Formats: sequence, C-alpha cells, structure tokens
Amino acid sequence: MMSLVWKLLRQHISIAQFAGFFFANLFGMFIVLLGLQFYNDVKPLFSQEDGFLKPEYLIVSKRISGMSVLGAGESCSFSEKDVNDITSQPFCKSVGAFTASQYRVVCSLGVNGVAQMGTDMFFESVPDRYVDTDLSKWKFNPEEGVVPIVLPRTYLAIYNFGFAQSQSLPKISEGLVGMIDMVVVLRGNGQEQHLQGKVIGFSSRLNTILVPESFIKWSNAKFAPEADLTPNRLIVEVKNPTDDAIVKYINQHNLELENDKLDAGKATYFLRVVTVLVMCIGMLISILSFYILMLSIYLLVQKNTEKLRNLLLIGYSPVRVSLPYQLLTVGMNAVVLLLSFIILYMVRGYYMNTLWAMFPQMQDGSLLPAFCLGFCLFAVVSIINIIAVRNRVMKIWNRKE
Amino acid sequence: MDKIELHNTLPCVFKGRDIQSEIWLQDVTFQKGETYLVEANSGTGKSSLCSYIIGYRKDYLGNILFDDKDIRQHRVSDWTSIRQNSLSLLFQELRLFPELSALENVQIKNGLTNHKSLKEIEEWFQRLGIADKMSAKVGRMSFGQQQRVAMIRALVQPFDFLMVDEPISHLDDVNSAIMCDIMMEEACRQGAGVIVTSIGKHMDMSYDKTFRL
Repeated sequence: MMSLVWKLLRQHISIAQFAGFFFANLFGMFIVLLGLQFYNDVKPLFSQEDGFLKPEYLIVSKRISGMSVLGAGESCSFSEKDVNDITSQPFCKSVGAFTASQYRVVCSLGVNGVAQMGTDMFFESVPDRYVDTDLSKWKFNPEEGVVPIVLPRTYLAIYNFGFAQSQSLPKISEGLVGMIDMVVVLRGNGQEQHLQGKVIGFSSRLNTILVPESFIKWSNAKFAPEADLTPNRLIVEVKNPTDDAIVKYINQHNLELENDKLDAGKATYFLRVVTVLVMCIGMLISILSFYILMLSIYLLVQKNTEKLRNLLLIGYSPVRVSLPYQLLTVGMNAVVLLLSFIILYMVRGYYMNTLWAMFPQMQDGSLLPAFCLGFCLFAVVSIINIIAVRNRVMKIWNRKE
Repeated sequence: MDKIELHNTLPCVFKGRDIQSEIWLQDVTFQKGETYLVEANSGTGKSSLCSYIIGYRKDYLGNILFDDKDIRQHRVSDWTSIRQNSLSLLFQELRLFPELSALENVQIKNGLTNHKSLKEIEEWFQRLGIADKMSAKVGRMSFGQQQRVAMIRALVQPFDFLMVDEPISHLDDVNSAIMCDIMMEEACRQGAGVIVTSIGKHMDMSYDKTFRL
C-alpha cells in the first residue's frame, strides 16, 4: 500500500532538480570535509608542540641598551624588588628565576662516540615545576654523573644543516637524540669534573641550554660558591598569555618578552585562514544546494497538494503522507554523505602519499573528525528536511495551501 | 461513534441572512443505524455541511458534536482515526486519484484498515458493471463510472456513519438502484447511520428522516 502512495506522490518529481541538488550537495559536502581533513593532516607539521614549556609561561628579560653594555646603565639582572613587583601584577600567577651556571663549561658534542664539535658554553635552570616533562628524567644525581639537557631546537638545525652536512656526518632527527654524545667539563674553584650530558629533548621557545635545578644548585655550590645569583631572566606563569596588560607592563618597565612567535606559528595561522576560507566556500555550496532541495520539495508538495489533501481526507495521517518525501530527502542526504566519505578517502590517500614523501616523520592522522562533521551536517540537514516536509503537509491539513 | 449532533450550526458566510432551514441554526441529531436524506437547493451549504462533519473545514458558527464531544477539540490524530474507522464520506467531487487505476484507488483506501478482501471488492465492481474498468486509469473514466468507484472506496472501511454527497447525480436508475443496494447492505452489516444528500434526484429508498436544508 505504501507503494501505491509512493506511486501517487512521486508524480512531478523533477529528476533534473534532484540531480542538481545531489551533485551540488556532494561537491559542497566534499569540500567541507576535505578542508577539515587536510587541515588536521597538515597541522602537526606546523605546530610541533613544545614539550618543555607551556604556553602560559612567558620568558622575560631586561632590554639591553647601549648603556648597559658599557656598564653605566641599569643592571641587566632582576633585583628582588623587581621580582616582587611582577609577582604582584594581576596577570601573574607565579614567577620563577632562571639561574645560570657561574663557572666555566666546556662541552663537546659527538655522534656515536666520535667527538666532533667542542665549545665553551653555559647552563641555566628554572624551577622544576615550570618544566613540563617527565620529572623522573629531569633530575641530577652527582654519583651517576649524567646531566639531562634540553637544547634549543635551532641547535639541531645548526648541527644538521651546517655541521653534519659539511663534515659528511649523519643527520639526526629529534627521535634519535639518544645518539648524541655530550661530554661536559666543568671548571672552577680550582676543580675540574667530567660529566656525561644526555639530551632529552629540544625546545623552540627556550633560547638557552636548560638543565635541572638540582644540578645548577649542586654545581654552583661546588665550582663557584661565592658567585652572585641574581637572575637575568624570569619565567612568568600568566593566567592568560594574550592579556593586553602583560604587553603594557612589559613596555612600561623596559622589559623584553622572548620571542616565541615562530614562523611556524604564522604558517599555521595562514593555514587556518585558508582552511576556514575553503570550508566556508564548501559550506556555502552546501547551503545553496540545500536551498535547491528545499525549493524542489516545496515545489513538489505544491504540485501534489491535491493528492496529499485527498490522502489526508480519506484517512491518511500527516505522518504517513510526509514519510515518502522525508525518506526521499534523507536517503539522498545519506547517499551524498557516503559518497563524500568515499571520495574524501580516495583523495586523502593521494595527497597523503605526497606528504609522506616530503615529511617522512609525519604521523597518520585520523579521519574521525571529518566523519563526525559529515554526520553532524547530515543530521542537521536531514532534521531540517523532515521538519520542513512535515510543516508543508500540516499546512495542507490546515487548509493554508 | 453513536451520534452526530449539530447545535445552532451555520456556515460563516450565511451569517446575517434570513435562513429557513431544518439543519442550519437548529438542534439536529443523526443516530447510528438510522437513514437520513438531506434535500437541498444549490447554494444552501450542502457540501459545506459534509466538509464540516469530515473535519475538512471549520468556518462555521455553533457546534458540531460527535458523541457529545465538540469536534473543534479533535486533534490531528483523532481525525485520522475517525476517518479511518468511524466516518466515511463519498465526496461530491469524488476526490479520486486520476493517475491510479480504479482498483488502486480502492486499494489505497482499503490498505489503511484491510477491511475488505480483494474478492469482495471485485464483486462490487462486478455488480456495478465496471469490472472491465478495474485496471483502467480513473482519469480516463466517465464521471458516472468514477462515482461508482468512489462509492466502492467509501465502503472499504469500518464506519459508524456513511455520508454520501449526491452519489447518483450521473447514474441511470438501474445503476442507482444497484449502488443503493450495495451501500445499504454494507451499512446494515456495520449497523451504521447513513446520510444521503441530494439536490433533486435522490436514491429511491426508505429514509427514517428527511431534512430540508
């Protein structure tokens, strides 16, 4: 009997209109999903998370002027008063000081036991609670003689693209930091000690060679017991890194924020803008196609008003006469969704191969967000369709058509 | 449903006119099991009356009650159930589906309740002399033939009241008599009330009561 109703109500269905909707919606849906998927796939390449410093931590130093270089201007270090002043600011949650090594450090870097690059250098530490890493790795025991170290990421680039290239040495990826041998020689207070350094990671935001606080305390006490420990840099935990008050305060007190806005940040930003733009276009196409569908349905109901009314008058419920059109639209939406997924899957396979060739370290992302978004769009559109058809039929019931 | 009552009912468009009617502005009761004839002249609101009772139109004053319940209070689901199980109407304008065959037009109604078997339906087609038209599209049939199809469709459901609006306007006397027989057989079987309207030619049978609209 339902087939008789369908035989009746399929009259005046315009294949051209529905095909128009179908392809437009398919196109729109696909673009929306592809935009999201591509963004998700590519984003990790741009925004490598800094594992050692949370975004709410800012690094503050005093601006170096010509006078301070000559020793005549203000001191470059933060006095206790300065620290207290920052601590009392409303945007500030807590303040930690960078503590620098006060003795001579010579460090030689090598790969697989061959010492290759030696230099004088220094260490700094911040209170352990500011270091966002597994704290079991982040400690120093004088008896073991192994110092965990976090290097600036730029060092890796210097090694890989400057040093290793010219010396025909293997390049090191971040995953292979264990390959770096680091021998650290500490001198001062008439003593000398050889220690082994162990690079546990790289940071893009820290322009320093970071070691555990416990190591700096131990080594400063041993090699430079009388040194002055006023900090040159502070690490400030803020409530909201985008707070304007921070910039204002920094400028007023002639301080400097260490620049952590890397190019990758800009690239991510542009990527996001482009993605949003593409998704908006896809969305627009989807909305327009949805509009075509609604018009087609309205037209169909309009043309079949007399049939629908007669069905209602001989005892069919509005639910029952709405059903064929509701199934029709929901069915088409479902097919569109399915096809979009299939095309997305194929296209993604294609570009992922290209990306893998370019960035072998890239991880395979998930299709789940795109699936979820697709389902949400499908659900929303279908629900609106169902309600719209039902409203049209109720208009006929109430003799407003 | 045992009775249909009209209390001071009047189509809105007749308001202010001097009405001489045995239905409008009266208290009228139709009882289940009885047969009524409503005779009318053109333009006295005969089809309006049918539309009000089937719940299609509400542009009337006064009240219409089914079993003491004002039909203005009926919800969509109530009306659907009434139209399926309690009240059947043969529309003057028939309201058949021209795209469907005669049999399909009946089946689309019968399918709601499966009240009649295919055999019974075929028998009716036979008796009304349109068995050869069962698979013909209704749109290609004459109005008289369509009236017979519409009558069959009106009968393939359970009902307490059957309203037929000018059912024989395009039929000859022989076919009128057959249609009348079939209708009354089914009405008696169901113990239903029958309300026949007419603007002149009416089914020749005994009515319990005649109203002049």
